[in-house]
Amino acid sequence: MSFLQALVNGALAGAVLALPALGFNTVYAVLRFPNFAIASIATAGAYAGWIANVLWGWPAPPALLVAFVAAGAVGATTDALALRPLRLRGPLTAAIGSVALDLLLQNALRFGFGNDPRGYDLPVFRDWRLAGISIGPQEVEDAGLAFITMTALFLLLRFTRIGKTMRAVADNASLAESKGIDPARVAWIANGVGFGLAGIGGTLVALDTSLDPLTGFRVLLSIFAAAVVGGLGSIPGAIAGAFMIGIGEELSTLALAPTYRTAIGFLAILVVLSFRPRGLLGERAY
Amino acid sequence: MLDYLASLAVFAGIYALLGLGLNLVWGLGGMVNLGLAGFFAIGAYASALSALHLHFPLVAASFFAMLLAAAAGALLAVVTARLKGDYLAIVTLGFAEVIQLIAGNEIWLTNGTDGLSAIPAPGRGTLSPLAFDLSSAGIVWLVLAAIAAAFGRLSAAPYGRVLRAIREDEMVARIAGKNVLSFKIGAFSASAAVMGLAGSLYAAYDGYVAPDSFDVLVTLLVVLALTAGGVGRMQGALVGAVLVVVLTEGTRFFGGLLPGLSALQVASLRQGVIGLFLLLLLRVKPDGLLPERIRVHPLDDEGETTR
Amino acid sequence: MGPTVSRRAVFGGSLALPFLGRSGFAAAPIPLGAINPLTGAGGAYGPSMAKVAQALTARINSTGGVLGRSIALDIEDDQTNPTVAVEAAHKLIDVNKVVAIVGTWASSVTTAVAPLCWQSHTMLFCTSGADSITKLPHHGYIIRTQPNTYLQSGRAAQFLLQHGARSVFGLSAQTPFAVDSWNRLAAVLKTGGASGAGDIIYDPKQISFRSEIGKALAAKPDTLFLNSYAPDLEILLRETYQAGFSGNRFTFAYAATDAVLQALPASVTNGLWSFAPSPDVASPAYRAVQAILGINDPDPYSCQIYDHVSLVVLAIARAGAASGVAIHDNVRKISQGTGEKVSDPVAGLKLLAAGKEINYEGASGPCDFTPSGDIVSCKFLFQVAENKHNKTLFIS
Repeated sequence: MSFLQALVNGALAGAVLALPALGFNTVYAVLRFPNFAIASIATAGAYAGWIANVLWGWPAPPALLVAFVAAGAVGATTDALALRPLRLRGPLTAAIGSVALDLLLQNALRFGFGNDPRGYDLPVFRDWRLAGISIGPQEVEDAGLAFITMTALFLLLRFTRIGKTMRAVADNASLAESKGIDPARVAWIANGVGFGLAGIGGTLVALDTSLDPLTGFRVLLSIFAAAVVGGLGSIPGAIAGAFMIGIGEELSTLALAPTYRTAIGFLAILVVLSFRPRGLLGERAY
Repeated sequence: MLDYLASLAVFAGIYALLGLGLNLVWGLGGMVNLGLAGFFAIGAYASALSALHLHFPLVAASFFAMLLAAAAGALLAVVTARLKGDYLAIVTLGFAEVIQLIAGNEIWLTNGTDGLSAIPAPGRGTLSPLAFDLSSAGIVWLVLAAIAAAFGRLSAAPYGRVLRAIREDEMVARIAGKNVLSFKIGAFSASAAVMGLAGSLYAAYDGYVAPDSFDVLVTLLVVLALTAGGVGRMQGALVGAVLVVVLTEGTRFFGGLLPGLSALQVASLRQGVIGLFLLLLLRVKPDGLLPERIRVHPLDDEGETTR
Repeated sequence: MGPTVSRRAVFGGSLALPFLGRSGFAAAPIPLGAINPLTGAGGAYGPSMAKVAQALTARINSTGGVLGRSIALDIEDDQTNPTVAVEAAHKLIDVNKVVAIVGTWASSVTTAVAPLCWQSHTMLFCTSGADSITKLPHHGYIIRTQPNTYLQSGRAAQFLLQHGARSVFGLSAQTPFAVDSWNRLAAVLKTGGASGAGDIIYDPKQISFRSEIGKALAAKPDTLFLNSYAPDLEILLRETYQAGFSGNRFTFAYAATDAVLQALPASVTNGLWSFAPSPDVASPAYRAVQAILGINDPDPYSCQIYDHVSLVVLAIARAGAASGVAIHDNVRKISQGTGEKVSDPVAGLKLLAAGKEINYEGASGPCDFTPSGDIVSCKFLFQVAENKHNKTLFIS
């Protein structure tokens, strides 16, 4: 397989990974702790998208919107109920609480939906072939949807009041609070937006793979890797990190047994962090 | 029933050993080492391979396991020396994943996903299953008591105070003339050695190791156990391990009380209840059942501003 | 796990008393354990296995049980993790005092619990594929209903040769039997004048196999041998279709499950060949599994656990005693030989009660075992996916 083909495959994989990584970093930027429950919340979004697409017969774009709303609601509610009190005890307590929360959510989904894989009611197309490189229409569409979502997030952060509030809190939480910004309200918004993005990302991942209670868990380590490489809490960093992990893993298969792909992702993190201990783009949110 | 309790005591002891190892770097040193499953695996494979091929008795195999795990720990400490907090946590999590991949892929060494079976242990085959379980529980808890006592002394000794100082403020420790890197390497390898020892005891007791045994589940369980017990105190690791085993095993017995649910629903309810219970415990006792006695300065609890 | 049944299993005789009158059994129930992958990597299979075991146990109990005693089935989740499985096995053996454990799935799980079983004289019935399992020093306490890779891959290669395969590429999930099955397949292909174009072992936890598929298709094979499980097969089928592959695809029936065929468009799955060990003709036991699960294509593991439970009760009835040793000594006396062929365990119990000898033919195959616990030899069912369902081609 050619270098160029691996690059294309990696870029498409990175585009899908970018959304949950973006969601993860959006939450991190404001709340300053890694929320492990993102795995099951992304899966919950994928199930919501499945309900809209298969049970209600909606096409992909509105189904993704349903995924956004559902995952955002689950993420923001569970955070307010379960994790906010823990946050007062420090970020580490909240992070560990989120592990327990993930276990709870994953099994709630399993209880309701079972383990059998669910398929979306969407056609599968043959790849296009362009100058010896094959590209899947589905993957291109996914990447396009991911790109539109990222642009929307960028516009939200740059030009709206909500966005400015979030950036202010990300920059300096205590200063923002002294200026009269209600941290609880910002937490609701950051969680709603961040986990909403994760819900869309989870649906796109499920479209490419399969939908079962472990869908989000399977990509959890890649999401972390992307977020860390880019810089925890950094919005552009999440995107850069996702592409780096996606492309790095694919390129590694040119030289190494594909079973070691994940290991290469890990080595890439180590190399980047050796030179930049706070990720490629540092921790500035935006 | 006694058999079953003895086997649970062995598993609780192994989790407690892992918790002790984690407590040294995390509780005292403030470094979140989530590479736990990796060191556990290195210890288990080192012990199993040396027992199978070189006919090492358990004691020698365990020392070999500790040595290899400590070396891996030192290496990881050097490589990650500049990383802090969440970055360190995620890189060490990745390390464990790589070790599991190696265990699955390097068939010439590890026998791949088939795993290594018929690992010898003192008393296996000569003792009755009950006697073997009881003696194994005895061995594990003796080792555990020794390690807990040693770590307890270490924690009270000047060495422990330096580690705490690094946890609270690395810069201050450095200015005080402490070689922070060598302390980190020391703590990492000591903790890895104990995790390796846990691996060796696990391999001997189960008689079988396979890559499947070392997935992220072990790490999550031990992290939750240590948090529930209380980070920073050695008894916290013990109490937490017992609590987690009681919780995971205790929930087995309630499945039958729920009519009308499928086996899958009972299984998911069981795991969900464990998650819920730990969330509630964190809420009610955020510092664990046995909180560390040295209190952190109140200002540091604000977290967000001090980062 | 019938609720009252396992409650009795847990709390023993004292709580069981109030139920005696109602269920009509005079003596204490016979404890039977199941360890299934209800969660984790094997989660696609465990739930239906548990359902089949429960339903068959309930039916046997409702028709009078065995030796005048009911079966108390206790199902434990192994999370597809050997450590968890060992804890579960300790509980089943030491607390429930089960006479047998049925339905272990992952090879690592079976290998981990096997020593506990043979040391405590508890029979272990497994569905695991690793050839090493029956080579353990188990003294006859392991029965494996999954054919070993030698038998299975050899037969697969013959089928491919008959269907004109000249160049086959293997994509195998990393399992204990991945290498062995490919070597055997390639060797038999070679004797038939075809060739193995190459093989790749992949990590089934990945979310995309585009690179692996790219490498496979670069070898221009006419057939892909997909040595997968259900979750990774779904991705492989979609991605090989997207990559423009139009040759034949061959896999195991346990991977090409009903759920996978339902999750993908028919255009992607049509023409997928799969195979599984099978009884001579469409057996009543197989139809019973279909009825329990309410689907047309029950996976082979669900069929196998049906046979596990059947073999346990029939061996107990033949022995006239309920213990691991009794099952160990009698399981081959009711599963092979010259006795009357039966496919329904309840009918088998009646024949045994009437003093006749029987030969159980199960849902997963004829259930004849070698001294080491492997399937002697069996026929295979070959099927092809058509419009989201598997259609039988032939049994041979």
